[in-house]
Amino acid sequence: MNDKKIEQLKEQYKEIPIPLELNRVVYQALEKRNSRKALYRWGVGVAAAIIIFTTSINVSPAFAKKLTDVPVVGDIVEVLTFKKIAVDEGNYQADLDVPKVEMDNEALEEGLNSKYLEESKALYEKFMSDMQAQKAIGEDGHLRVDSGFEIKTETDHILSIGRYVEETQGSSMTTLHYDTIDKQKQLLVTLPSLFKDDTYIEAISANIKAQMRQQMEVDTSKTYWLEPSEPDGFKSISKDQEFYINADNQLVISFDEFEVAPGYMGVVEFVIPTDVVADVVVSDEYLK
Amino acid sequence: MLRKKPRQEEMIAEYVIQNKERFYRLAYSYVQNPDDALDIVQDSIHKAITSKTLKDEKAIKSWFYRIVVNTSLDFLRRKKKVTVVDDSTIQLHMSGHEDHYTDIDLHQSLNELVPEYRSVVILRYFEDLKLEEVAEILDLNVNTVKTRLYKALKILRVQMDSEEAN
Repeated sequence: MNDKKIEQLKEQYKEIPIPLELNRVVYQALEKRNSRKALYRWGVGVAAAIIIFTTSINVSPAFAKKLTDVPVVGDIVEVLTFKKIAVDEGNYQADLDVPKVEMDNEALEEGLNSKYLEESKALYEKFMSDMQAQKAIGEDGHLRVDSGFEIKTETDHILSIGRYVEETQGSSMTTLHYDTIDKQKQLLVTLPSLFKDDTYIEAISANIKAQMRQQMEVDTSKTYWLEPSEPDGFKSISKDQEFYINADNQLVISFDEFEVAPGYMGVVEFVIPTDVVADVVVSDEYLK
Repeated sequence: MLRKKPRQEEMIAEYVIQNKERFYRLAYSYVQNPDDALDIVQDSIHKAITSKTLKDEKAIKSWFYRIVVNTSLDFLRRKKKVTVVDDSTIQLHMSGHEDHYTDIDLHQSLNELVPEYRSVVILRYFEDLKLEEVAEILDLNVNTVKTRLYKALKILRVQMDSEEAN
């Protein structure tokens, strides 16, 4: 065989057309690397799960903006995204943002952060086991969990962080949790701590019932479970009902989806006029 | 947000991007269709960056070719289009074919070679690799490469000569 023939063969080989997608395929293959490796780091044995870690901590854009708007020296409490956990497996999707607070009071910081992390871990583990269970019985399941947080209120004095969890499995279910921090005193504000005694429970509950009735009268599309005869009817808030303090220094009571109303009403909240609790409030420090 | 890639990974990425057409053609020469060839390029890249088997960075060329060749051969095995067999079976198989392809074009004549022979021809003559590099990529000793090359050329010559005769 002479060189000419080899050259001819070589020419033909070099003429194998290169598809346009080659570039994209190569870059995608190189990128996929990152998510795959992150999985091994998390140490979860589910190969198809993709977990993205944020190794650098991101300041939430809303908070970053507020920081520049209101420069406060000292007594700073920051809320950051500590971790992002994502699972993307067809019909099974999880997207969890784990918040992290930073403040001078280290004990409180540690307490809140470990609570946030534990909650997210529990959500993740529940999601994975639900997914495995559905897959094991060969069910064509749909499962979606989203969790994250938002700054409800940020003033010089207080910071209210709301954490939400939305679980979708056929229908969806949203739950909310709030933490309100006194930035100056570096303290966690609890609902009972705002009041002299337990009478706030009755005062607030009565106000909420009045608001519910009023809303249903004005807007017939609204429904609250209010009848005392019904087993699910709203009777009273709990001692540690979810709440936050809004920018107008008013107490806002929050109920999860289905807690006091049908699902279509979603998560509901009531702003409690401060005069309703004026008699029992400890001071006008938070509620005005 | 994404982690900075380690240096070796950067190097592999750069090398792959620069030589992607070569790897695509090599894969294509085995599987003979664009979709499968793209899959092989993709799988090869994944293997390369997750396996961490590159010990000597100077050897990246033969290391990556080797991954592409092995991925291609695995693919063919899975597809069961081709059964990979030992050398004596290859010769037995090939000898029966020599007479049949009288009016085949050059490219097809190359494709008529079993993958084991095709590899040596492509790597040695088309990719201009040294005999030693071909041996390393295919995990053979140099003498085996020489033997396969000789036999492959012989088969090609028979085919091409008969083509010329037409």
